[in-house]
Amino acid sequence: MKYLILFIGSLAVALMIFLVLTFSLEPGKTDELELEKPIVVIVKATVAGQPMNFWSVVQQGINEASKEFGVEVIITGPDHERQINRQVNIINRIIEEDPPLIILAASDYYLLAESVGVAEEKGIPVITMDSGVNSPYPVSFIATNNVEAGVKAGIEMDRLLELENNWSIAIVSHIRETATAIEREAGVRQALENRNIAGTWYCENDQKIAYENTMEILKDPSIRGIAALNEIVTLGVAEAIRDTGSSNRVIVVGFDNAPEELAFLEEGVIDATVVQRPYNMGYMSVKTAVEYLKGEKVEPVIDTGSVLITAENMFQREYQELLFPVNDE
Amino acid sequence: MRRLFGKLGTLESRFYLIFTLLFFTTILTMQIISTRFTITSVRNATLENNRLLVNELVNQIDNYIESMERISRAVIGDKNAQAFLLSPLPESEDGEILQDRFASYIRARDDISAIVLFRHDGIAVSGDGTDSTGFSDYRNSDWYRNALKAGGETVASTAYVQNLVPGNYSWVVSLSTQILNPEDNSPLGILLVDLKFNRIKELCESLIIGEKGYDFIIDPAGNYVFHPSLQLVYSNLKHEPIDALLPLMENDQHLYRIEGRNYLSARSERTGWHVISVSFDSDLVTRWPYVQLINALIGLVLFLIVGLVTNFISKGITRPLRQLQKVMKSVETGEFKTAGHLDATDEIRELAREYDIMVGRIGELMDENVREQELKRKSDLKALQAQINPHFLYNTLDSIIWMGEMNKSDEVVKMTSALSRLFRISISKGHELIPLKDELEHVRSYLTIQEMRYKNKFRYLIDIPEELLACTVLKITLQPLVENALYHGIRSVDYEGLIEIGGYNEDEDIILTVRDNGEGMDVETLSAMIDGISEIKDEDNRDRQQGTGVRNVHERIRLYFGDEYGLSYESIKGRGTLISIRIPHERSLIP
Repeated sequence: MKYLILFIGSLAVALMIFLVLTFSLEPGKTDELELEKPIVVIVKATVAGQPMNFWSVVQQGINEASKEFGVEVIITGPDHERQINRQVNIINRIIEEDPPLIILAASDYYLLAESVGVAEEKGIPVITMDSGVNSPYPVSFIATNNVEAGVKAGIEMDRLLELENNWSIAIVSHIRETATAIEREAGVRQALENRNIAGTWYCENDQKIAYENTMEILKDPSIRGIAALNEIVTLGVAEAIRDTGSSNRVIVVGFDNAPEELAFLEEGVIDATVVQRPYNMGYMSVKTAVEYLKGEKVEPVIDTGSVLITAENMFQREYQELLFPVNDE
Repeated sequence: MRRLFGKLGTLESRFYLIFTLLFFTTILTMQIISTRFTITSVRNATLENNRLLVNELVNQIDNYIESMERISRAVIGDKNAQAFLLSPLPESEDGEILQDRFASYIRARDDISAIVLFRHDGIAVSGDGTDSTGFSDYRNSDWYRNALKAGGETVASTAYVQNLVPGNYSWVVSLSTQILNPEDNSPLGILLVDLKFNRIKELCESLIIGEKGYDFIIDPAGNYVFHPSLQLVYSNLKHEPIDALLPLMENDQHLYRIEGRNYLSARSERTGWHVISVSFDSDLVTRWPYVQLINALIGLVLFLIVGLVTNFISKGITRPLRQLQKVMKSVETGEFKTAGHLDATDEIRELAREYDIMVGRIGELMDENVREQELKRKSDLKALQAQINPHFLYNTLDSIIWMGEMNKSDEVVKMTSALSRLFRISISKGHELIPLKDELEHVRSYLTIQEMRYKNKFRYLIDIPEELLACTVLKITLQPLVENALYHGIRSVDYEGLIEIGGYNEDEDIILTVRDNGEGMDVETLSAMIDGISEIKDEDNRDRQQGTGVRNVHERIRLYFGDEYGLSYESIKGRGTLISIRIPHERSLIP
């Protein structure tokens, strides 16, 4: 009897040692994350709805990371950045599905906070990307440091305006209550605190309204600089400048890198644009999500950086992928 | 638990443990070696396969670039192109013909983005009809400068965004060729063929090894021609070991391994590019867990078999030992079993045989011991019998009574005190060995009594050297001999008898002698007394008793001191008898 116990005991130990040793010998062993359900990314606007170049590049970054880290990722979101309630509905529906993690690019700083709280209650970690929410729960925030990006725009504006101290600057913002808009404006104002800021115009993230705002701004002859805080605003402002032929009079510093914007930059309608790194943002958000789910420590804020692009450096090799995404035709 | 560890102390479990550990280690080592071998061979086979794929990819790229170069050469060799380049001011007719031709190339090959022929003076003709004024400043472009440097060779650029026409951005790889005047080799112009980058990207993406693998291309200087996630590389989120790869590739080393990644490179002859295919070890052997599981199971089955066999063998070795052990245990109970024949190895059979011999010997010794004990007990009893000779006692007491009646009080006192001494010494606190002095006192007391009883019948003489008096003797050895001499030798003669008691040293021994001048004994009686068989032969009670007394002394001495000691007789019929006692000269025996 005792021998039987001894025999079975040693067999069990042997089995364990065999298994442990052979499995620890796995070549190129990767401790990949195994998830039952995909991670869900809720963006501000899906590519299908709006031809917003920014989010399509974010998606490329997300897909790259998804492939590299071997996790499945679902990307969803409203058609348009203005559809805040729609995004709230989407996140609430996603929370019901109980995904392992939600990556959220919040369309509104306040209105999505409640849903993030619900996710926290259900034990779903949330990582915010691009724009944060008014909530203490997100485990990490992956975004361009928008204040810093605003400061870059403001410094360039200041440099281009040189000594013309009595001229004033207008700010055209996309949406009143979005974190990106608030922070970029703060950055611009910070860099231009010795300059005269004529005011901030809001355009509901509509290119037409931005155009009309600019037409109105240009009526003030003292305005010699316009800071346009995102891609759509920049395009609206640039069209107005081109149409009125006032590019020599007004310095325009914009944001983002739509192909039309780059054309305006090459033409000299726009003088500089602050470009984020949406690809890196998408990539880092998934990378951080994977690290978090593996139980590793993640940084609460990850800055993906921004670059000031002018007509001089826009064709430099290292910025080409950033400015001119390769599209699969 | 303690019982389990206690169990490990047995030979069987030691065998089992040692063999099991030994085989376990062996099997494990073999498993590890074979696993490593499998890993290496599978990886090598896969990498060899991948190398072929990468070479194939490079061939495709080369073929593709070559086909494009053919177009370049066709254009350069074209009569119209020559005319366009050589005339001081090109005729619009030549330009139009060229433009049509370029346009047809572009239509035929949907992977060509642009074909432009630049004259040295800046006049250009383009496939899409853009005229010389429509171009941005191209003279600082890499393709232009590299073409000038290369002489007449066609050079391929890295992938980049071509902004030949402002506001028009397309990813291309440019092939540019400087055209020289065949007569004086003076530069005439440059032909630019822009290839859509998507074609090369598609080629690279067509070769992906595993789920994670990817390809990238660098030029000889280490600049990226193509990388699927170049943005990550430029922002340091991804790192490729270019610094390590470049020197390797220059030395025709085509494999570099780092952190589970395999970098396989191949060089494109046509462009000088290095195409590098990255594959991951985790992708190479996708069925790895199954291989491991099977390996582990094989190991386990081997271990099981070895375990059973070991168990069997160790049982086989220890079973006869256990049988032997069981037999040996019987000694504890006093039962001396022998092992007999065991079905075992030679050593154990030998052991069993020796054991049997030993047990037999012990049995014999024990029997002997028992017999000797018995004898000793009997002799003690006989000594006791010798002490209390009832005839002697009541005869003596009769004499005392008689002397009392005769008012011979002095003699009564003398006899009573002699009797008292006789008994005190014969008891002697229960000691078996007493000094010779005491023994002589004893025999003297006896003779005193007998002398008074048998008045004038005999006399005695005790002559022992002084130095022997301290020697020890077995108590009551002389008195039975004296008694024997008295009753057997002297009593029946009609002359005065004489009993002489003497002693002397002989070697290490002491010889005590009792001599009488009585009637003596014939040889038969003598030998009967020595052999101790007179007990059976002699029917006479008194004789028997006397014979018993002498034989008792003989046996007791032999039991105490060994067979070489005891009594010896010399007797001559009608002349007397001499009995000698031989005992060891051992003073220390006195307790």
